[in-house]
Amino acid sequence: MSEPEDELELQALQRQLDDAFETTRPRPGFEDDLWLRMQSRRPFTSRMSDAFAGLIQGIRAAPAVPLASVAAVLVVLIGVGIFNLSGLGRGSASSTQRQLSLNAGSGANVPSSAGSFGRLPSPVLAPVGANQGPQFSQPAPAAGAYAGPVTLTWTGQLNVSIGAAPVFRYSEPSTDSADQFAASLGAALERRPAGLLGLYTASDYTLTVRGTVQAPAQEPAYFILTAPSLPGVSAAGAQPVDIAELFLAEHSLAPQWPYTTTVDGPTDQLRVHFLRQFDTPGYGPAYLVDAGGNRYGMEVDLNGSRPVLASGPLPVSLDSATYPIITADQAVRAALASSPSPAADGVPPAKVQLTNVELVYTLVAAGDHSFYEPAFLFSGSFQVNGAQYVKRVLVPAVDPSQRG
Amino acid sequence: MCFWPPTAGRCTYHEPAVVADRPPFEDLYRDYLGRIYAYIRSQVATSADAEDITAQVFMNAYQAYARFEARNTTPAAWLFRIARNATLDHFRAHGRRERLRRTIEHQPQVVEDPAGEAEERILYRALLGHVARLPERQRDAISLRHSGLSFEEVGILMSCSEDAAKMLYHRALKALKDSVQKEGV
Repeated sequence: MSEPEDELELQALQRQLDDAFETTRPRPGFEDDLWLRMQSRRPFTSRMSDAFAGLIQGIRAAPAVPLASVAAVLVVLIGVGIFNLSGLGRGSASSTQRQLSLNAGSGANVPSSAGSFGRLPSPVLAPVGANQGPQFSQPAPAAGAYAGPVTLTWTGQLNVSIGAAPVFRYSEPSTDSADQFAASLGAALERRPAGLLGLYTASDYTLTVRGTVQAPAQEPAYFILTAPSLPGVSAAGAQPVDIAELFLAEHSLAPQWPYTTTVDGPTDQLRVHFLRQFDTPGYGPAYLVDAGGNRYGMEVDLNGSRPVLASGPLPVSLDSATYPIITADQAVRAALASSPSPAADGVPPAKVQLTNVELVYTLVAAGDHSFYEPAFLFSGSFQVNGAQYVKRVLVPAVDPSQRG
Repeated sequence: MCFWPPTAGRCTYHEPAVVADRPPFEDLYRDYLGRIYAYIRSQVATSADAEDITAQVFMNAYQAYARFEARNTTPAAWLFRIARNATLDHFRAHGRRERLRRTIEHQPQVVEDPAGEAEERILYRALLGHVARLPERQRDAISLRHSGLSFEEVGILMSCSEDAAKMLYHRALKALKDSVQKEGV
């Protein structure tokens, strides 16, 4: 081959390479997914300090809310187990030390037609130490670094007399939905940053809306950052919860679901949590928890009497369908079966007594439709080398026959 | 300043803090995600691996952006250095030999990867397969150059002069041409 021909072929190959590299791109959605993953890993303290630094101009650097110190008393080991109950036969029923009081409620008593959403996706839970869910409205448990093996026993009592529970489903909100939500608050669209449904502005705050985050599952959410000009809420004798509720009500954001409230943080920089609940017929209100078992819902950060930040789930329309749930005995066996194997280096596993259990709801993100599904949350305290831990085990409540 | 999620403009990206000579990280992310992915994809066997490494690259870059000095290097060179190191780490961790074997034998990994399957259909997959089978430095030279870096930047990343980078690239190009002609694309 002559030199000019050779050179032409190399040039052609270069053009092909240019095209190959130009056209090789990640799948659609990867850019947004990764961006949100990156954001979700940002430490809360840095986000708070950013927010305060931007708002409290001229004031000394505002200290971030010291969540770690708030929760330092109780270091929580979040042990999350997600189990396919088809393997329950391997569970150690003999470990159950107290007779459970649940007599009713075998899933078999529920018509097989229950569950009009079809087979439900199973929760995908974050591993210990990973980001475990929504960045808003967790009442500050600190995830302990304890990763040693444990041996579980159950000494509590499971008082659930229901055989079925509702599952809730929502459709992924569109940019139109976000725009309507913003418009209802009086905020106007500014632009749509990558990975978000919209960024909106109003006279005294900035509103950001995002859709569902698939893993760890986080529902569509809004985030309101107030302007420095926003005055504090003046109400004689108002407590932090009152101030937060007033602020939410003024902005048409008062929770439309059952909740309880908690407050944490230092005196002048408080965080008010509105912990969401789902009404469960025959049981009562069940808390919404993230993949680590932490209750959450909506939150308002206060700087004195001035709301600085409000965040919570974007209001979405929820459909519901009833699904059979597992029995108490199945739930206990599933929880006990979650004990990890003893460490290879011979470290004896910590003995943990699970003493408490409650029915909770957890979000399962599943593409265009996501679900709030019932689960049993077991917990028990224990000590290792003088440090206090809490072990939590989350067991999906929906009968395995109804799960995909 | 911004709380969550970060946005540009008035509510500026904040972590790390934006300084005058440093573009918001969000801009870097948008501008370079595709190119970084393509660079990594040309090195590894599957789109799933490429996504994992790309994610790691931007996670690392995000954490380190506060230390990025625009006076010392370009954002492109900085990001591609992180990408190159992450790819090397990936090979070290997972076994270069096994990855090469899979690349050469075109054995799919046992994972569900619909996105990857879609990508497998793209026109230039075979060509990138040839690139992936070049010796490491040649592969790097081709990938970095066609990801949009100047020869000077390629040289910096590969610890050689600009002229040496040019020579290496042209040698790699000829080797690639031979490989393509031998086996076809």
